[in-house]
Amino acid sequence: MRTLLVWLAGGLSLAGSIQVAMANGWNMPVGVTELSGNIHSLHMTIFWICVAIGVVVFGVMFYSLFRYRHAKGAKAANFHENIVVEVVWTAIPLLILIGMAVPATATLKQMYDASEADLDILVTGQQWRWRYDYLGEDVAFTSNLGTPRAQIRGEEAFGENYLLEVDEPLVVPVNRKVRFLFTSDDVIHSWWVPDLAVKQDSVPGFINENWVRIDEPGVYRGQCAELCGKDHAFMPIVVHAMEEEAFDTWLADRRAAASQEAQGIDREWAMDELMERGEQVYTAVCVSCHQEDGSGNPPAFPALAGNQALLDDRDRHIDTVVDGVSGAAMPAFRSTLNPVEIAAVITYERNAWGNDSGDSVQPSEIAERLSD
Amino acid sequence: MWEVVKSVLAAFFGVQKEQRRCEDFQHGRAAVFITVGLLMAMLLVVLVALVAVVAAR
Repeated sequence: MRTLLVWLAGGLSLAGSIQVAMANGWNMPVGVTELSGNIHSLHMTIFWICVAIGVVVFGVMFYSLFRYRHAKGAKAANFHENIVVEVVWTAIPLLILIGMAVPATATLKQMYDASEADLDILVTGQQWRWRYDYLGEDVAFTSNLGTPRAQIRGEEAFGENYLLEVDEPLVVPVNRKVRFLFTSDDVIHSWWVPDLAVKQDSVPGFINENWVRIDEPGVYRGQCAELCGKDHAFMPIVVHAMEEEAFDTWLADRRAAASQEAQGIDREWAMDELMERGEQVYTAVCVSCHQEDGSGNPPAFPALAGNQALLDDRDRHIDTVVDGVSGAAMPAFRSTLNPVEIAAVITYERNAWGNDSGDSVQPSEIAERLSD
Repeated sequence: MWEVVKSVLAAFFGVQKEQRRCEDFQHGRAAVFITVGLLMAMLLVVLVALVAVVAAR
């Protein structure tokens, strides 16, 4: 009777702790796509198989330890070889493994079928931001950390989505198959959004693919899941899933805005305009290394404020931003930023934080430089 | 020959009677066991590949 009670208590506490773990979000999420639901049920199937195996194996072990204990005068059997037992304990795991492989293969097949997508998005990892190119749609943008630096430094209270917010989220439609192509400009990153059941490495020189068909509109958050350097924690992912009509409108607006900015390349920009746009770009892209006040983080990330060599050599400043510095941490921004953004941010760097070069860089000049 | 195949199958499975093992070591020739083992390993690969092709359909 007492033994039975002990077993009952053990079983109940195991089941209870599993329930608590699931209710507290420690388990894998069910997610918002059909595939993520399938992956979750596969995960739970395998989990319960493992629980059952654990209960049986440890049950037999603890029962034997208790029932045949030395204190009760148990004598160890001393024999070698038992074909029946050996065949049984080899065959049962074999059957269990085959039983697991069948549903696992079915789910894997579904995961790898990225064919016949309605929309292709190229996702490029960069230290430390994500770039999204809507292939064939003439829309591309960079998604930077949106959390204010003051929160990171502990000068302000943490916001609700601390380190899980961006300036421009990835926008996708619901009910359409979206294929992601992953690559990287520098080191290996990993694009991970748990609710979409996507965690895919982005590797320089390689293209990986994955896909989603989201059922419910909403905002889904994730992070880079491959340690990629100093600001690995500061390149989150936000996916905004919109109704199809709203998405089409958004895409058309983005396309129009892109062509408007492209037209801006040809005109003469005023100093104030360049400084304003430049500050936006600097805050989004440059600040993580060169700091808000331009003081940098020498020696890896040189100071821009009061950097006389830079102020004296305007061409070198342009070259550095456009082409990066070979062998150093400074990346090339020729494909990440458009000519307006490059011109604005260089102008800003040459005239902010007490830098007083007084000169500006025009987008047309950068456009010409890029076409060389 | 059938005895050799049975012994190789038992080796694949990982369980063999002590008595059979002794017999194999007394009567069999190593080269025969190795050849049959290699052939059957190839057969296993083909079998797994076939299952994969069927599953991928």
